[in-house]
Amino acid sequence: MKIAILLSAGRHPVSGAAVLPRLEAQAIRLAAGLGQHIGLHAGPEAAVVAEALGQGLAHIQHAALPEEADPVPALATCLAALAPDLVLAGRRGQGGAETGIVPYAVADRLGYPLIPDIIAAAPGEEAGTLHLDQSLGRGARRRVTIRGPVVATVHPDAPASFAYAYGQARRGVIEPVVGALAPHPAPVPAVEERPYRRRPKLVKGAPAGSSAAERLKAATGEAGPASSGRLLVRPDPDEAAREILAHLRRIGVLAAPRDPR
Amino acid sequence: MTRPRRDPRAERAAIRVPDRDGARPRYDRSARRPGGGRPRRDPRAERAGQRVAGPLRLRYDLGQVAPAEGPVRAEPAQRTAAPTILTVEAPDFLVVAVPDMAGGRLSAHDRQVLGAARILAGREGGVAVLAVGAGAGYGSAGADRLISLDDDPDAYDPAGRAARIAATLAALKPRHVLFPETLDGGDLARRVAVRMREPLFGNAEGLSPTGLIRPARGRSIEQRAAPGLLATIAPEAVAEYAGPPREARLLPVEIDASMRGAQEITQEILSAIRIPADPATVPLGLAEFVAAAGNGVTDLDTFRRLVAVLRATPGASRVLCDAGLMPRQTQVGASGTVLAATCYLALGISGAPQHLQGVAGCEHVVAVNTDLHAAMIERAGLAIVQDAQLIMPALLRLLGQEAGDPGDAA
Repeated sequence: MKIAILLSAGRHPVSGAAVLPRLEAQAIRLAAGLGQHIGLHAGPEAAVVAEALGQGLAHIQHAALPEEADPVPALATCLAALAPDLVLAGRRGQGGAETGIVPYAVADRLGYPLIPDIIAAAPGEEAGTLHLDQSLGRGARRRVTIRGPVVATVHPDAPASFAYAYGQARRGVIEPVVGALAPHPAPVPAVEERPYRRRPKLVKGAPAGSSAAERLKAATGEAGPASSGRLLVRPDPDEAAREILAHLRRIGVLAAPRDPR
Repeated sequence: MTRPRRDPRAERAAIRVPDRDGARPRYDRSARRPGGGRPRRDPRAERAGQRVAGPLRLRYDLGQVAPAEGPVRAEPAQRTAAPTILTVEAPDFLVVAVPDMAGGRLSAHDRQVLGAARILAGREGGVAVLAVGAGAGYGSAGADRLISLDDDPDAYDPAGRAARIAATLAALKPRHVLFPETLDGGDLARRVAVRMREPLFGNAEGLSPTGLIRPARGRSIEQRAAPGLLATIAPEAVAEYAGPPREARLLPVEIDASMRGAQEITQEILSAIRIPADPATVPLGLAEFVAAAGNGVTDLDTFRRLVAVLRATPGASRVLCDAGLMPRQTQVGASGTVLAATCYLALGISGAPQHLQGVAGCEHVVAVNTDLHAAMIERAGLAIVQDAQLIMPALLRLLGQEAGDPGDAA
């Protein structure tokens, strides 16, 4: 199986230094268990993705583009030439605009289906099929069986990346893509930029125009169902057990009895 | 000099109390003077208004400010009448909200998206909710119109659904379309954006009728733009709609004949099976239902059996983890895991402040403890003052009876 991993020029969220985004390092690990994998980067410099070599990629293709160019046509051209069975990407970039639209645009251009937020991948029983486990949050998953080729984005709950290995980083190769790619200018969004300002989180359940004491109660959870709680003092244990089970079922965390008698 | 001249003698004569014994003149100064000015306070009446009914000793609720004077007026009768439903007959434009409807219900995040749509619609516009399948509560969440998308809510075909939504939007021509920035909603928004060739303003954290704000570059800067066609709204960013209910009238949409191709389904997806989380292995911070043991639990075998039968994730207090009775990764609290569970069942946990910090995000708490005055009992929605060692076998027995397995009765 042939896997292509889309690599982006990430920035560390605290220091601002150039770094490989965590999701892409996790994508390398997912691909390592499946077969032959190759990295793909479209951008002005190849050095920004050199860290991916140390994370386990042996080979990276670099499509040189000017800074303002749209990477999607170049990536689509390279992927069409590579013809991989699976294309992996992070679900969002890191340090850029962080819109997460590039994998969708690439999949749309190639006509591949896209499966978002995967945490595991395995080859299917039939040739050319894949089992992709999608994260649904809170530990639940959806196992999608799909016929490739397919684009998939990686969720942070995927297995952690490999440790950085210096020897691998030395041995790995970054190869420029031969053949000139015509740079397409990226659409410039009309946005105004300014330093980030934290906004207060909404306090759930606090009535509008309430006093500070009421907001504090809502924030600490004392104003919710807890404030109107039931108190049973020294009940019979069986009676208490019935109360607990009825309460849990009312909340919906415990399934109803299968065979009520 | 148009102020009327006061006559203090006449005023005093008017408030003179008819004397009973004639010893000295007495005046009733509690009534408000007709000449205006600041109302006179009656401290005794205020104090009496703060009095809390109770037989044992005088108690006053000092947080309550009693009316300064006069008898308390009865509440106007309109307050109890059913709120009238607001209708927008011919909205100038539409703002469409596309909720996730996980489990067929509007989540809190979906309501926030509808609240955001309401802000963008203002007085002239109308909010339309584009929902898959049937649902309820759209009107109270702020929707003027309801567009029902003819789609199977359980099938997994995001590309096909995005195509149908894009076709509906092309027929409807709304001014703005809002999605929740969740796993499903964010995915759908990006598919629709790519399909319609429209830019998407993702993860908006600030919203006003004139601009949307989102963080970028690792939250070092924020980007502001006028609201475009497509945007996704971050969780906990916009308040839910709190006004009177709206009508949520069904709005039929005629999809163009050229858009009939949108009825396609993704042929490549062979199957999609939902695998629920295994409560025994799910990380504690992600668990839905946590049952935790504290110092009041000595029989940990029974506790483990109970956790398995309840299909909960096991947790523990610091005392048990320090003693080596439970693994360290099960510790709940400030130095352990901060939970995001729906329900927390605390067995034999008194509730140290550090432990309660870990539980602060839980929606429902059930506590079993021998101490009536424990902090956990105060926090709990259902509090039982009883020995957890007696409750656990009773729970197991009851669950065993319900499963119809008398052999499990311990």
